[in-house]
Amino acid sequence: MSELLVKNAFVIDPINEINGEIMDIAVKDGKIVESVKDSSNVIDAKGNLTLPGGVDSHTHICGTKVNFGRYMSPEDMRAGRGRAQKYMYPVSGYSVPTVYGNTYRYSSLGYTTVLEGAMAPLEARHTHEEFSYNTLQDTMANTLFDGNWAVMEAVADNDLKKVAAIVGWTLAAVKGFAVKITNPGGTEMWGWGKDVGCMHTKVDYFGVTAAEITDYLIRANELLNLPHSAHLHNNNLGKPGNYKCTLERMQRTPDLNDKRQTLYMTHVQFHSYGGSKWADFCSKADDVAWMINRKPQIAIDMGQVMFGKTTTMTADGPMEFNLYRLYNNKWSNHDVELETGSGIIPVLYSKKNLVNSIMWSIGLELALMTKNPWQCMLATDNPNGAPFVKYPEVIALLMSSKYRDEEFSTLQKGTEKRTFLSSLDREMNWNEIAIMTRAAQAKALGIVDLGKGHLGVGADADIAIYPIKTGETDPAQEYEKVIKGLSVTTHTIKRGRTVSRDGNCLVFGDNATIWVKPKIPENYDISKDPEFIKRFERYYTVNLANYPVEEEYLNRNICIETETEL
Amino acid sequence: MKTVRLKRKEIKNPYLPVEAERITTETFLGDELQDISIWSGNQEKRLEDLFTVDTEGNAETAEDVHIILSGDCSKVKRIGEYMTGGKITVEGDIGMHCGNFMSGGVIEIKGNADSWLGREMRGGEIICRGNAALYCGSGYRGEKKGMRGGLIHIYGDAGDFLGETLWGGKIIVDGNAGNMPGAEMQGGEIIIGKDAEIPGANMKDGVCIICGTAFDILPTFMLEEGKKNIDEFKTGFFEFSGDHANRKPKGRIYAKDYRIHE
Repeated sequence: MSELLVKNAFVIDPINEINGEIMDIAVKDGKIVESVKDSSNVIDAKGNLTLPGGVDSHTHICGTKVNFGRYMSPEDMRAGRGRAQKYMYPVSGYSVPTVYGNTYRYSSLGYTTVLEGAMAPLEARHTHEEFSYNTLQDTMANTLFDGNWAVMEAVADNDLKKVAAIVGWTLAAVKGFAVKITNPGGTEMWGWGKDVGCMHTKVDYFGVTAAEITDYLIRANELLNLPHSAHLHNNNLGKPGNYKCTLERMQRTPDLNDKRQTLYMTHVQFHSYGGSKWADFCSKADDVAWMINRKPQIAIDMGQVMFGKTTTMTADGPMEFNLYRLYNNKWSNHDVELETGSGIIPVLYSKKNLVNSIMWSIGLELALMTKNPWQCMLATDNPNGAPFVKYPEVIALLMSSKYRDEEFSTLQKGTEKRTFLSSLDREMNWNEIAIMTRAAQAKALGIVDLGKGHLGVGADADIAIYPIKTGETDPAQEYEKVIKGLSVTTHTIKRGRTVSRDGNCLVFGDNATIWVKPKIPENYDISKDPEFIKRFERYYTVNLANYPVEEEYLNRNICIETETEL
Repeated sequence: MKTVRLKRKEIKNPYLPVEAERITTETFLGDELQDISIWSGNQEKRLEDLFTVDTEGNAETAEDVHIILSGDCSKVKRIGEYMTGGKITVEGDIGMHCGNFMSGGVIEIKGNADSWLGREMRGGEIICRGNAALYCGSGYRGEKKGMRGGLIHIYGDAGDFLGETLWGGKIIVDGNAGNMPGAEMQGGEIIIGKDAEIPGANMKDGVCIICGTAFDILPTFMLEEGKKNIDEFKTGFFEFSGDHANRKPKGRIYAKDYRIHE
């Protein structure tokens, strides 16, 4: 079958502890092998930086709320337009581009696996439809359980196994990958115009707190042996003083899994705010990073904010309403029956704004102060902090304190008093960057065994070659070269096929969707539980039989079956 | 001075749109006529396929170029896009998006103009001796900033959404305007010779003068006391401030007569 040899590659592969060796990579049938016989198909990497294909463990690219962001911002569609080419459809949009726009741009950044951060179970079909056009990356979807009535009732009954049964059945039914908890309890309260604040407010009617919902879902996640841990967007996002809530959540989290973290906290930048109101708003990244450093059960992504126009979208409805009142621009709000909700607004992060300047600093502080790069992923919570096309700039900021100082001097005055970024002189190296952008993300998602995030024998042949010679480039000084080199790969190889060369896509692509199916014993099958069926028929507008997403909706299908402890 | 006469050739399908953003004064600077491609429907054509081209004289800068369009140009779009100087005269009707983003020069239209005339223009002058259709001098869909400078003068009537999201400059309409003139405007001036409906909805700043009747003034506008005189007209006008749906609005509507929306 098809064979490929990548010659003279300067490889950094943290999972296999390869840190900068010139070597050849042999590929056969989409997998990496020891050697190949046929030497006709050769790519000469010319000593350029070669990494495993990028993995983004938290992004928003497909699904109903992303789609709503597209049609509420026609002005965004005017930016970032691209013409049709032989294997590329025309694209438009900057912060929320069309699906093709996302997949082409990710591909030219060298990314081959992406995880949609929040999928409402009821709207899973739409997400999978859009996934099938996200052709150049393998896709996964976090499934929202923050305001799920059945889960909250089971938590109120202290029935952990029932929570696990509901989670397991729902994940398999909607072809989801992991448990996502967005502002637990808050979205349900938002249906009544309220919020839960920090973790100990009781949700109306159900009488459970955010802390309990998260605790139960973390444990249920481990009972089901899911590859990824619970994926949490904590309460109180974007409020001054919310770092206490973040610290308490980290403190509460037990260490339940020796292979990976027990809790993945996403966009922690938005959760590391000090002060009591916007007037005395300041950075508390030091406290949060200190806690992460002593809690191996926690992994975070930084949620870096970059300056410019973007669109924020999250299942955290009350937070978006507060933002809307701040910006007085457009706002969309959506309720998904019995499950979750969402809000969307366009924003402009400006250097002239003190709060935005501090937010920019906090993300970098978090990444630089987290000692172990395996615990901190590089992400912007695309497009909430910034569109993912800014990743090369974020990397350059992490690698060069000169670049940070130059940027810092252009910020609003007073930023230096509220942050301590200018006192940090850590400069990351290529190995740490490779960990933060692929190896740690694949490990945190639990897909290393599937062959993601590394270049060992048997791994998927997802390879990104960047036009950077690490020996000749000093990232601390020549940060512009780093940005330029990381923005467009010379070759992005997906399953042994070159899908993108110098930013041009060469194939229509053929992606796979990874989903999990916990093996749940018969007596815990919630879809046969008469009480659950009765409630479902009574409150949902869809029939139980119509709820699951059929496998025909998935283009290529990678199912992870897990053994459960039910 | 260089004069370029473009006459539209006979066409089989009069509904086929033509994307002619290349027809602008800067294109015709050189001595030799270059290959100018224009999309007609889904086919890429040369300028000579669609127009008979006749040039006279020489020009050093765009200021010295005068383009005269004749024949049926009612489906020819984006004439004079990003124009910086010189003059374009249209002997009849013109299609959509005429004078998009123009920053200098003059466009004179002897017939009617289609929608989006002078969209997001920054300077220069557009004179339309007939009527203008929808969204004259406005921003494009979702855009916050519409026309930012210059002058649009329409001798006939204007359609709905005249000067939507207007940011600066001046629009004069001698006849009636349709629904929602000056919606979301944040600066600039609109003068309407006759009647208009629902003027200035959600405006934050700017002036909208209606010399006839303003129908359906929104309840979020406040009538100021006493009739006001305006320099140019020297007669009594009712003055409204608004739109009070916004915080601290500075917008003004002046109307000879008005009806409140009920």
